[in-house]
Amino acid sequence: MRPILLAAFVSVAGCAAEPPEPWPRPFDLPAVPAAYPLPPLPGRSPRIASYTIEARLDERTHQIDGRLVLDWRNTSDKAVDELPFHLYWNAFRSNLSASARGEGPRAARFRKDRDFGYTQPTRVLLLEPAESDLTATLRYVDADGGNPDDRTVAVVRTPAPIAAGATARLRIEWTSHVPHGTVGRAGWVHDYLFIVQWFPKIGVLAKDGQWKAHAFHSTTEFFSDYGNYDVRVTLPERFVVGATGRETEALRNPDGTKTLRFVQEDVHDFAWTACPRFLERRERFDAPGYPAVDVRLLLLPEHAHLARRYLDATRLALRAYGAWSAPYPYAQLTVVDPAWYSGSGGMEYPTLFTGGAPAWARRDLLAPESVTVHEAGHQFWYGLVANDETEEAWLDEGINQYFETRAVDLAYGPEAFAVRYFGGRNQRDARRGIPVVAPGVFMRRGDEHRKDLRRFGREDPLVRRAWEYQSKDSYYLNAYDRPALVYETLENLLGAENMDRVWRTYAHRYRFAHPTTRDLLATLNEVTARDWSAFFDETFYSSGLVDYAASVKQEESRAPRGFLEATSERFVSLDAPTPKPAPAVWDSVVTFERREEARLPVEVLIEFADGRLVRESWDGRDTYKRYAFRAGPKVVRAVVDPEAKLTLDIDRSNNVWRDEDGLARRAALKWSARYLFWLQTLLELHTVLG
Amino acid sequence: MIDALRAGLAGAWRLRSLAVFLLAFNLAAAALLAAPLFRILEGDVTNRGAAPRLVHGFDYDWWRRFAHERAGFGTSFGPEMLGAGFAFRNAEMLLRGDLPGRLFSRGGEAVSGAEPLVLGLGVAYLALQTLFTGGILAALRASRGGFALRAFAHACGFYLGPIARVTLLALALDGLVFLLNAPLAAWADERARESVTENAALVWSLGRHAALLAALLAVHLLSGYAKALVVLEDRRSASLALVSAFAFVLGRARTVLGHFAAILLLGLLLLAGFVAADGALGVTGYRSQLAAFGLMQAFVLLRIGLRLALAGGQLHLLRRR
Repeated sequence: MRPILLAAFVSVAGCAAEPPEPWPRPFDLPAVPAAYPLPPLPGRSPRIASYTIEARLDERTHQIDGRLVLDWRNTSDKAVDELPFHLYWNAFRSNLSASARGEGPRAARFRKDRDFGYTQPTRVLLLEPAESDLTATLRYVDADGGNPDDRTVAVVRTPAPIAAGATARLRIEWTSHVPHGTVGRAGWVHDYLFIVQWFPKIGVLAKDGQWKAHAFHSTTEFFSDYGNYDVRVTLPERFVVGATGRETEALRNPDGTKTLRFVQEDVHDFAWTACPRFLERRERFDAPGYPAVDVRLLLLPEHAHLARRYLDATRLALRAYGAWSAPYPYAQLTVVDPAWYSGSGGMEYPTLFTGGAPAWARRDLLAPESVTVHEAGHQFWYGLVANDETEEAWLDEGINQYFETRAVDLAYGPEAFAVRYFGGRNQRDARRGIPVVAPGVFMRRGDEHRKDLRRFGREDPLVRRAWEYQSKDSYYLNAYDRPALVYETLENLLGAENMDRVWRTYAHRYRFAHPTTRDLLATLNEVTARDWSAFFDETFYSSGLVDYAASVKQEESRAPRGFLEATSERFVSLDAPTPKPAPAVWDSVVTFERREEARLPVEVLIEFADGRLVRESWDGRDTYKRYAFRAGPKVVRAVVDPEAKLTLDIDRSNNVWRDEDGLARRAALKWSARYLFWLQTLLELHTVLG
Repeated sequence: MIDALRAGLAGAWRLRSLAVFLLAFNLAAAALLAAPLFRILEGDVTNRGAAPRLVHGFDYDWWRRFAHERAGFGTSFGPEMLGAGFAFRNAEMLLRGDLPGRLFSRGGEAVSGAEPLVLGLGVAYLALQTLFTGGILAALRASRGGFALRAFAHACGFYLGPIARVTLLALALDGLVFLLNAPLAAWADERARESVTENAALVWSLGRHAALLAALLAVHLLSGYAKALVVLEDRRSASLALVSAFAFVLGRARTVLGHFAAILLLGLLLLAGFVAADGALGVTGYRSQLAAFGLMQAFVLLRIGLRLALAGGQLHLLRRR
């Protein structure tokens, strides 16, 4: 009796026994290396912007003093005499910044004085080609217009233009005040430090001589050039530190601090984190066909029980993404479990990323698995292909979202539906809640993406610069969910094998290359030997949604009456009706409708009572397509998109028309009875009051 | 305490037909919204591919689309009411001040399910139960005999005035609890956010919810004794009945709280048993639907039975002063 009661209690509390099957479950992936020819992978990046950095943290004042030497090469066709630098932490300088004026969970919201932070260059020297002090030329620019108060981009002017192909060496000294880590991703929370986007960083110069250095908006991420990083960080000795790259030196200083040196070639950013409470777990990822990777997990003591799950999910990402694109080339990867209430969770940096999970983490809710696979997956797109996240977020985030859902579905299956009670409304507060799972309810691949597509899909076409979407919801939809559905639809149309070939070609050809949407579409057209422009016109360049529906009207074939012709082709009189046809003969009109704007070719299927199937293709150009059948067997099923390839379809329940056989009533009764029961208990709860 | 528990349970058993009567009212009230929902659901899935999936399980994608297109009370239909979810959802609604009729809500987003028609029905139900309380307590006061509709109706009318006043005073006390809770909750939530570890945050957060629940239950306890006193001693003054109830509870705190805790524990066991049985039941055909319906009604009936047992135990304790 006791175990039964205990199990029941545990179940009530929302932490029922875990499923017994192997987890993550076994899965197949394409062979690595591929059995077909692919473009060669470059051995190294173009190394356009390389940084040598020295920084010292004052833990008490949350101040970082740093100096860096930047070696930069002009890879454009034009000479330039202005160099823009990102000063990201100036997003937290005041409530006038573009980020602070923005909306969404990433907008800078200041509650206390500690929340503010800044990056202040104190000296800018041009060392080469000719030494010159540029400090006086430094000015802030309103990079995207509309907010002259923003200080996240500053420009310095060189005394002489830097010619196309020439190099420049600059020395920058700066001081930073670390913001509180609940405001943005970077910052401190108690003894946890997450130091990212923390040094003055040069913009990206396009081939045509135009700089890409956008302000830091509440919905934008980052874009920068590849280079080598050699970074020395000095901080109190008690800290456990994780960073981009490999640790090559550790020196103890007489003042109770230590200086750690990290080096990494061919990356486009450098991040580090420190916390004395970090537990460390190390594991080696070594699979046939893949370069070996040392995985280092830094996690907080209250999440020690999640270590295995973090590591398994990281291994899954390294394997699956490596097979579907190109293997991860760096020798190490650091996984960081963020501190409680820090905003640093779920973010990617070169060879380092943050996961995030509540301590009360049921396995079927896939946290930390989903976020770990997602952020580890960024290493392959943001990290190794590196498109412009500010102007074309749907490439990195969208592709990664698509890969994440595919990998998670493959290894873990669908996520259970749960509500967290007694926590808070926002994402971070909600972690305090008790997770209560709805038994038997699972969110299958694409379900959650379609939810937001229905709500916000009409606001914008997918292709927009990240800060120009109508709302933050539209940004999240078009950066993540909608492109993931577009790519999944493509996968269904092409087949997984062909789709993998597209991704592999794209990942190989554009490693370290900053590709654009045009490059992706060109790769797709080339690999599939087909022009996909029409498909992308409907899905990328239009805010139209996809909704196909099927309906059927049918009646038993009528007994002929009236002035009819007999079989001898003579008129029969009104008084002599011909006999009614056999009872199983029906007149049916099947209509397939396109209820939304997007026009995509689709399959249609009609099934008759005698088992006969009619399968046809419809180009979807008109708003409907109709089929009429006279004096035939009854239509029992009509389906548009029978293999559910168009995952973009916002209402898949109307894709199927089925001859009613009482199931609708049974389903309605079943679920309204459940609703009745909930209402009964809610009403009875009222007796506790008053 | 054990005596009170036993007496209360015996009283509830003796008045099982009253419990069935109350269940019928409860069922009828809930059906006011469940019946139209049945029509809506049937209309939505007729001829649709979602129907078989909904018969054999739950179609999440369908529900998301259904919820997106729905307005009004239909939005309160969702998978969060499955398993133990209904109890958590109800408790969250209670603790957010959504019950009754968002009377104690301090703004902000309502819990999913706190829809005006649903909440309005709740207010009507509370009023009806206030009317019934006199009849229930009078039936429990009698040491023997079953449920007689005429006597019940008479007692309902006879005690309605003072019991309604006790109810209003108790609601005022609940309001005071929520008023005092607001700064406490804000403070505790801030402490939770500022915690070094997530575990500490959980303690702050769940602790403040537990404190609020305990305060509301304390008001419920007082109100229960005050209503029992009204019927037991024909009190006309609701406020004096509450004061007497408070004095009684203070004087016999251990017994009173022990009895109340025992009833709560039985309620939790009932919930756990229901969740376990419900989870084991695969509902597809009409027969299994009938079995599930029977199980759900048994749960509500036993829940009503516990309400009667609590009141019966309280009467017993008051008699033994």
